Parts: sequence; structure tokens; C-alpha cells
Amino acid sequence: MIVPPEYYVILSAVLFSIGVVGVIVRRNPLIMLMSIELLFNAANLALVTYARAWVDNVGHVFAFLVITVAAAEAAIGLAIVAVTFRRSVNVDVDEVAVLKG
Amino acid sequence: MLLTVIWLLPLLGAVVAWAFGPQLRGWTGPLCSALVGLAFLATCASWGDATAGATGLHVPLVRWLPGWDFGLQLDRLSLVWTLIVTGVGFLIHVYSIGYMHGDRAVARFFAYMNFFVFAMLTLVLSDNVVGLLVGWGLVGLASYFLIGFWFERPTAVAAARKAFIMNVVGDAGIMFAIFLIVARIGSIGYADVFSRFPTAFTREELFLVCLGLFIGCAAKSAQVPLHTWLPDAMEGPTPVSALIHAATMVTAGVYLIARFAPLWNASADARVLVGVIGALTALLGATLGCVQWDIKRILAYSTMSQIGYMIMGVGVGAFEGGVLHFLTHAFFKAQLFLTSGIIIHALHDEQDVRRMGGLRTRLPFAFWAMLIGVLAISGVPGLSGFFSKDLILYGTLQRGHPWLYGVGVLTAGITAYYMFRLLFVTFLGSYRGEVDPSDLGIRHPELAGTTLAEHAEDHEPPHAHAPAWLMAGPVAVLIPFSILIGWLGLGGESSPWARFFGGFFGAASSAPLHAPITESVSTLLVLACVIVGFAIAALRYWRPDALRAIVPRLRAEAIHTPALLWNAYYFDAAYEVLLVRPAVAIGRWFVRTVDPHVIDAGVREAAISSQWLGHLFRSFETGLVRVYALTIALGAVCFVAYYALAGGAR
Repeated sequence: MIVPPEYYVILSAVLFSIGVVGVIVRRNPLIMLMSIELLFNAANLALVTYARAWVDNVGHVFAFLVITVAAAEAAIGLAIVAVTFRRSVNVDVDEVAVLKG
Repeated sequence: MLLTVIWLLPLLGAVVAWAFGPQLRGWTGPLCSALVGLAFLATCASWGDATAGATGLHVPLVRWLPGWDFGLQLDRLSLVWTLIVTGVGFLIHVYSIGYMHGDRAVARFFAYMNFFVFAMLTLVLSDNVVGLLVGWGLVGLASYFLIGFWFERPTAVAAARKAFIMNVVGDAGIMFAIFLIVARIGSIGYADVFSRFPTAFTREELFLVCLGLFIGCAAKSAQVPLHTWLPDAMEGPTPVSALIHAATMVTAGVYLIARFAPLWNASADARVLVGVIGALTALLGATLGCVQWDIKRILAYSTMSQIGYMIMGVGVGAFEGGVLHFLTHAFFKAQLFLTSGIIIHALHDEQDVRRMGGLRTRLPFAFWAMLIGVLAISGVPGLSGFFSKDLILYGTLQRGHPWLYGVGVLTAGITAYYMFRLLFVTFLGSYRGEVDPSDLGIRHPELAGTTLAEHAEDHEPPHAHAPAWLMAGPVAVLIPFSILIGWLGLGGESSPWARFFGGFFGAASSAPLHAPITESVSTLLVLACVIVGFAIAALRYWRPDALRAIVPRLRAEAIHTPALLWNAYYFDAAYEVLLVRPAVAIGRWFVRTVDPHVIDAGVREAAISSQWLGHLFRSFETGLVRVYALTIALGAVCFVAYYALAGGAR
């Protein structure tokens, strides 16, 4: 049985929406990072789906690129979270507003 | 090659004196003098090459653009000037070693003097109009430096500034002429200009070019109405007055007109304009010389008057006469100025002739040098001024300007009067230095009621000692030239002077020159005027009874000087009212209105609005990560929505 591409696209959109809501609504930085990963992977899913549907390898290449960027982002993001934890025990991102203009 | 060396030697001296003055100490003056003397010798060595052909010695230097070739040129005309600038310049440098001895800034003085010689050589040796303008500007700068040499004196600074500003007016005139030349001819070399101008210019354009050049002349050579800086320029040290404001720089205007002789030959309007201005300047300068009491100002006005003669001569087309008068004037006027410097030096910076008198026995050398100078400038037969003045006056008459001739003859009489007045008041009678200045009609507030003995700080009686040989020597060298150099002009068409130039300047028309009276009659006429002038001066200042009553007489004369003459025909007052005050008023208005309400307000508003923008944008920076995320999400939604809708529409 072949799953039609529309299903994948819909799944991708659902995952993306969950990610967006997670980033905006949650205040725990770790959860926010995980939501961002969700965003990346939703995008990856869409890219791969379209690559398959249109028989074009650019989508695959781009998916690998996104995975690389996601790894780098996770490293930097976790480092920031670790430093923030060291400064204070607070885990609420709304309290960490030192860059307020 | 030698020409380049002549040109650059004084520059070398200026740079060395400027850079190593403190190390050279007393050797600065001799070194700078030697360099100028060396330039003089090199010029003498180039005599043969310079007089070889019509164009003489020519050294191309650089080509900037097509038609813009810069080079040096030593032909007969520039040879005369170069010899005077380096020769008389050398003598004055030597004199300065004695005169400036003990001054704190001797090195600076000699650096400026050498720089001036370099600038003047740039002017006269250039083979193109732009090089000429560069030299023209540089001599103005050197003149500014040297007039303001004693910059602790506010009057000296003001005089320097005045001279510089008036000279810049002239520079603008020359620049205008150069613009026209470049626009119509497309080349700056003299040779190109003179060969192409008859076809390139219309009659009106040619007159405009001549006018622009003449504005430069008038400013540099102190011609009416741009003459008022010259008397004030006497604030500089006396050797400077001798070199720059008598012998060389102020005659640059004569050089300019003689250099552009073909243009003047072609433009009758320009000839009339320049002739009239020259005659007017000669007359005004002479009349103003009659009422001055400062020895250097008398000489300054006489310089102005004599340059008026030269300008009149070269203006109407009597180029040989004008240039010969430059040559003779350079010698006798340098001699007069240097002699006045000896007097001033001996009397501890006293310049007012009313406080001199009786110096004949104390300063016999100065007396004889001054006497010869006065005889020469007055046009007494046998001395140089007689020949050159005669050549100009008769040349003017021959070219059909009887009125200018009349003014010139009259001026010769006035010249004799005020020069002999200077001689008699300074050297005859008894010494008046101890007389109360107010009895002499002197209104200097700082001197009122004091005598010179009290005024002098060391209470030493004024010792009018004989000048040191360094100061007397150059004057002694100048004396034979002041007497003899004019003989070059004797003999009309076949004189050595006329043969030296021999058609160099060309002529306005090929018609033979003619005059209503013969040259002998003209000479006698001039001589009669000179004798009348001398007689009036002798009656007023030389008669024994006049000498006895000289003190009340000088006082009465000082008090009853006609206001018109004392205020120098109100030229300065007119400039004050017409130019200075409006300029100051405009300046005030700018200070009060434009500066606070336009310029300052603009800056202030820019600062305030950028601060306001900063406040606006910093309110976006909440520092809340989730707000940023929400903003990005909304942006993405808008993005997607736009493409979705636009794509749907397409």
C-alpha cells in the first residue's frame, strides 16, 4: 500500500504547528529547544516528501543540510541553557530578559 | 640645467634655514646670502644663452596634460628681472645680516627671504601662464610672511593680512584671464598664446583678458585703487621693504604687462586703461608722499608713484622705458630704503623724520647715500632716474597721450619736492630727538610729553654711530649703479638698452612715432618741473631762517595737513564703509540668525530625531524570547498567506 504524499504533508503541517505552539507557549527552555527540533523535522519531512513526489534530489540534499544545522543549533542552544542555569536556578525564559532594550 | 639650478638654489636655502636654523646659528644669514649670490653668478653665466635668440634659454620640465607643458624660460625680459632679483637680492641679504643681527628669529627671516627669491624666480622664469600665477601667489605669500615678520605687533599682523587679501583680489583677476586663455587657446605656454591669440580672441575678449591681467598688476604693483596695502606693508623689517616692496615684487606688474606685450599691442582699450591708471597712481602717490612724516612711508608712496610711471610706460607701449625705469628704480630705491634702514638702526627704531634732523654730521655716509638716491629718483641729469623717466615720458608723448605726459611731468616736479623735503628734514638743521614730540606735532599717545632720552630704556643718549660695514657695504655697491645704470638708455633708438631689446616687444602699429615737441624740449620741461619742486623744498626746509624756526614750522605743518591728503584720499575709509562694514554686518547677521537658527538648529534637530528613533526601536527589544518567536511565526504566517493568496490569484 502506497501512502499518498498528501498524508505526509498534512503530518508535516501538524508537527510544525505543534512545534510553533510549543515554542510560543512553553517557558521551559529545554521544552522550547525540543519544540524547535520538532519544527526542523516537520520541515525535513515536507522536503523529503516533495523530493520523492517530484523526483528531485535537491529536497534530499536540503534535508541533510537542515539536519546539520539542527545539530549545531542544539549544541549552541544547550550551551546557552547550561550557562543560564549556572547563573541562576530560574528555568523560566521570561525571567532571562537581560537583553531588554 | 643651469636654469633649474638658478631656480632651485634659493629654495634650498629656504628649506635649510627653516629646518636647521637653530643648528646653523650665525651661519644662516651668510649661507642664504651665498646661495642667492650663487644664483646671481649662474644667471650672469647664462647671459649668452639667454640673449641668443628671441626665445632665449628654454628648459621643459613636465607635461601635465596636452597643452599644459611646464618649463623654465630665460629670455631678455626675464634675464633683466632675474639679474635684479638675485643681484639686488644678494646685496639686501648681506645687509640683512647686519640689520637683523640680534633678532630672535634670524633663521626664520632668512628662510622667508630665500623663499621669496625662489617665488619671484618662479614668477619670472616660468614659460607659461599657470607657472606665472603660481609664482604670483607665492610672492604674495612670502610678502605676507615678511610683513608680519614681527608678529607680536598687532599693526604688523593687520598690515600683512591687508596686503594678502588685496593681493588675492589680483590673483583672482589673473585666474580669470587664464580661464579665458585656456578656454579659447587651449594651451598655457606663452609661445602658443602669442602665436594664436589674434585669431582666438574677439576684440572684447582680448580686452577682458588684458583687464584680468591688469587687475593682478594693480594689486601686486600697488596701482589705484588697490594700492592701500603698500604703505602699511612698511611694518615689515626695512630690508624687506627694500627687497620686496620697492625693488622686486611690486614691479611684478610691470613684468606681467611687458611679458604680455603682444596682447597690449593688439588692444588699444587696454593701453588707454593701463596708461591712465598708471599716471593716476604716479600723481596720487607723489601727492601723498608730500604729507607723510614716517621715513619709510614717504619712500613707500614714492615707490607707488614710480611704479605708476613704469605701468604708464609699459601700458601705453613704451616697454623699453618702463623696463629701464624698473631697472634704475630697483637700484636707487633699494639704496634709499637701505639707507633709511641705517638711519632707523642708528636712532633706535625712530622712523619719524620730524624727530631726526642734523644727521648729516652724525651719519655722513647715510647722508651721501641718501643724497645720491634722492638725486637719482628726482631725475637730476646724469643720474639713472633721469634717463629712464625721460624715456617713459617721451615715449608716452610719442604714442599720442599728451595728457598722461602732462601728468607725468607734473609728478616729476612733485617727486623732486617730497624727496628733497625728506633729505632736508632728515639731515639738515639740528638734531630734534630731544625736542618734546608734541612741540613737533606728533600725536602718538605713548610718546606725548616724553623725550627720546626718557623713552629709551637704557637712558643712553642716542648714539648715531657709523653703520657697520655689513650694512654700509651693500649700499656702497648700489651707489655706482644708481648713478650709472641709466646711461644705458642714452641715445634713443641706438642706445645699448634699445639694441638689447631690439624689437623684442613689438609695436602697436607700424606708423612712425612722432611727438609735437622734440626730446630736448621735453627734457627741459621735465627739468624745469624738477627745479621748481626742488626750489619749493629748499625754500621751505633749507633756507637758514627756515631751518632756525623748523620746530614750530613742523608742528604747524603737521596740524594743518589737508584732511584729504592726510587720509590718503579716503581710500581706506571708502573700503571701510563699502566693503569692511557690510562684510562685518553680514557676519554679525550670520552669527545672530543663521548660526543659531539654521546650523545649530539643524544639528540639534538631527540629534533629537535620532534619539526619538532610538527610543522607538528599543521598545521592540523586549528581551523575551517567546515574543521574538511569536513575531517570527506571525511573519511566517504573513509570508505564507501572501504567497497563497497571490498564487491563488495567479
